[in-house]
Amino acid sequence: MSYKIYEITGEYATDADSGQQVYDLIHAALLAGNSVELDFSGVNVFASAFFNFAIGQLLKDLSPDKLNELLKVVELSSNGRSILKRVIDNAKHYYSDAQYQKAVDTVMEEYAASF
Amino acid sequence: MLCLDTISDRPGHFDKLFRTCHAIAQLPEDCLDITIDFHDCKFLGHTGVAFLGGLAHLIQARGGQVNFNWDSLCPNIRMNLAQNGFLHHFGYGSSPWDGNSIPYRCDLQHDATALGDYLRYKWLGKGWVNISSGLQAAIAGRVSEIYLNAFDHSQSEIGVFSCGQHYPSLGMLHLTVIDFGIGLPTSVRSLPQNASFTTEEALFWAFQSGNTTKQNDISRGLGLNLLQEFVTKNHGNLMVFSSNGYVAIDDNGVRYENKDINFSGTLVNIALRCDEQYYCLASEVPPIEEPLF
Repeated sequence: MSYKIYEITGEYATDADSGQQVYDLIHAALLAGNSVELDFSGVNVFASAFFNFAIGQLLKDLSPDKLNELLKVVELSSNGRSILKRVIDNAKHYYSDAQYQKAVDTVMEEYAASF
Repeated sequence: MLCLDTISDRPGHFDKLFRTCHAIAQLPEDCLDITIDFHDCKFLGHTGVAFLGGLAHLIQARGGQVNFNWDSLCPNIRMNLAQNGFLHHFGYGSSPWDGNSIPYRCDLQHDATALGDYLRYKWLGKGWVNISSGLQAAIAGRVSEIYLNAFDHSQSEIGVFSCGQHYPSLGMLHLTVIDFGIGLPTSVRSLPQNASFTTEEALFWAFQSGNTTKQNDISRGLGLNLLQEFVTKNHGNLMVFSSNGYVAIDDNGVRYENKDINFSGTLVNIALRCDEQYYCLASEVPPIEEPLF
């Protein structure tokens, strides 16, 4: 299945909401082992928040090997690709350190409950 | 009566704005009928324009009233404020026109297209920056991180204010983005593990890759680091004032300082070179055949 990102973001793939829309479109298909193509034709401006939500959070429950196999990114500008690479590296670190993540979540829950 | 002084783009002049904001914040709500007079103002740079707009909204949000003494404006400032839309925004004068001024903006929420168009066509795309369309898009993306950060973290109830300025003799293009929210250090200290941070430590933490105060199971925290990296590599400069902290990023490196003036919001000023020869983006790009994950 191929998705044209321009139809969601227009020229500007910068914000978290549109990133979440992309994630919601592709996550289930990838989990089911289906191939997905993201076509960035016409999208010119990128910011990290968009990629954090669209692609970075896929690493929560999909391995890098699986994503390399199933997710294809096409027509992404060199600038977009460099930001996406940073986002992926950050997400790999974040989601692979499960113990750290769990500790942070516990502290946050306790903190929230103290109000 | 608030008598506005000359405001250029020096940190010392920013301090005058922060002191004014602090003084107004101390006023009781029944003393917020304020007239702003410009007789002593001989130059009002883009930071002053954005700050003044935000300050007026802040007073109004507290139930006060702002009256501008437009007749006290000197002709050059009046022309600039008319052209950049400031006068029209506050109900005075005709619609702004597309001249050499960079428009004043007041945004209550993040609108990716409106802000992207502003950065590309009203800030960068006026013909004064000698860059390719690809580089223009790349810069707009990095600078949009400033807005995203303001909307994501500041909790500013009155929105985000911005204005820019082109300095032809210096070959520099500036943009200031201001919010009147809780400030970066306060946001950073909201995490229990950061509660004891000094202002300098909190600002340092905010600029490190992967650090974010948003803990919703999504990896984040790259925006300010990407911005810092971009400014450093491309010989621009970035100034951030927030709470009593100051960050300066330029060719001399990154400096974190405590100041004796407190601004309970965040002011970011970015200055970029107007010539493509200063820019270096290609080296960051991973080879296309390399796996993404």
